[in-house]
Amino acid sequence: MSSTVQDGTAPQVVVTGLGVTSAFGRGAAPLLDGVMAGKPAFGPVTRFDTGRCRASDAACLPGQPDLAGELGSVITDACAEAGFAADARAGIPLLVALHADAGAARDPAAPTVLGDTAARSAAATGFGPPPRIYTAACVAASSALADAAAMICSGRAPAVVVAAGYLVDADGFWLFDAGRTLAKDGQVRPFSVGRKGMLLGDAAAAVVLEAGDAAERRGAPLLGRMAGWGRAGDAYHVCQPRPDGTGLARAIESALRRGRIGPGDVGYVNANGSGTSFADASEAAALHRAFGASALTVPVSSTKSVHGHALEASALLEFAVTVLALRDGALPVNAGYLGPDPDCELDLVLAAGREARTRYALTLNAAFGGANTALLLATA
Amino acid sequence: MTAPVGVAMLAVAHWPSADPASVPPIAGFVTSAFSPLAAAVADMCLSEAFGAPPAPPELGEGIAIVLASVTGDLATSAAIADAVSHGQRVPPLLFFQSNPNAVAGHIAARWGLAGPVVCSIPAADPMADAIGSAALLIEDGDATAALVVVASTYGDGRVAATAALIGPGKWVGDRAEEPALAADQPAQRASHPFTFGVRDAVQTPWQAPVARGG
Repeated sequence: MSSTVQDGTAPQVVVTGLGVTSAFGRGAAPLLDGVMAGKPAFGPVTRFDTGRCRASDAACLPGQPDLAGELGSVITDACAEAGFAADARAGIPLLVALHADAGAARDPAAPTVLGDTAARSAAATGFGPPPRIYTAACVAASSALADAAAMICSGRAPAVVVAAGYLVDADGFWLFDAGRTLAKDGQVRPFSVGRKGMLLGDAAAAVVLEAGDAAERRGAPLLGRMAGWGRAGDAYHVCQPRPDGTGLARAIESALRRGRIGPGDVGYVNANGSGTSFADASEAAALHRAFGASALTVPVSSTKSVHGHALEASALLEFAVTVLALRDGALPVNAGYLGPDPDCELDLVLAAGREARTRYALTLNAAFGGANTALLLATA
Repeated sequence: MTAPVGVAMLAVAHWPSADPASVPPIAGFVTSAFSPLAAAVADMCLSEAFGAPPAPPELGEGIAIVLASVTGDLATSAAIADAVSHGQRVPPLLFFQSNPNAVAGHIAARWGLAGPVVCSIPAADPMADAIGSAALLIEDGDATAALVVVASTYGDGRVAATAALIGPGKWVGDRAEEPALAADQPAQRASHPFTFGVRDAVQTPWQAPVARGG
């Protein structure tokens, strides 16, 4: 067996580059402004007709952006920050998470549900074809991140680029509306009484993960450290999370174990917090199960309350938010809050300006099929 | 079908027909054979290893599900697109089955598999890639074994699926040789639950060395 984080012989996994686009705009600065102010980016969708839908809002960039182009831009930004020029990228694995493609769905000859988005963005940025596309819904990108970290720790690769993207489209919007998951009131209210559901949001994001010693030798910037990760399943239901949160709690415990820290060392949790009634209560139960008494004192927010749910890209967008929050020592706001829900007893970050007093933060994701991930980030 | 050194095939099943009508339906999944196909081939494989569901809890807790596909669920995507293009409401059941995680959750709940869930569309040999993903999960420590399912439903109507249960061990050539108990891995031999736990109700070439190992 290769060296692992658990036995202390594996290299540290550091974040050396980050590129992000969200409904707030292109780049990290507008995203940070939005999540720190707790200012939702939701508005009526104009990109396509929502006339037959119950809901009408999402967090969208203006116009009709092209996903391959957006993905290429964030990959370029992340690699440029990490110091990987285009001609140095061909040997670096590129792991990509994507939602089903609307064009492929309308092409009877399409070989897969994905279209050529990943291939185009990889070719445009100097990478070889991604070995696989991660499609596991809301944990697709966090699964790719965990795989990337495991690849680095096991010596399979000194650096891995992870990218993900989703742009709100009619197929996804109409589908989630049919599932009655979208908030008719146009706001996402994670862990709040009166929450009505989720809303979709645009995102494209890319990060460069690298072995710490390799990054140091290259003189690469250290934006943060991926100190741990954990994954576990619910073995419970096709689409509902286990109410007692045991699956997510096991993922959290695995991440903390890898990071060799206890729950009391975690100073911020970027929650999955989709704003749906059942899932938020399950996540709160998971936090209480994994954190014990610390669950009442660790600051928690779901930034889906401002940037929306970016499906297969959501975990990477939230990973980026968490890296930036730790770097800046500030905590993102849990927007849309109306009041306490007794099933979600947590220390929510409800106002701007709350400082991070820790080196460690968790970002959590949970998906259909009872798939759970927890990623532990640390300051560099 | 090969597996990297470090993991071995404990059970394997191939769906016997390319005809989508051969796939038994499962409640709550409509329109597409994709999810029922994945569930059916998973049942074949896990039945070989464990008999009737669920898996023994002490084993199931650590078994991951890695679901890969050449195609993804083309029929469900097309049905959603067709409804949207014609201005019709999307059937709600399509929401629940629209992502491969859904059938992974069905398999996990039915068999009590509480390890990680990973779904992907690999660029090359899907079984080789999925086994590689599973091996990484096992080596990294979040899973003790993995059910690997490759299910594909092609545009011309054909279906194809293979499932394999893999665990720690050594894979040599095209079959396992003393798989989970390789002499150079004494720590795994001493501690891994599969050394002691796999039922021997159905003796297969893949399973027998493991069942003997306890």
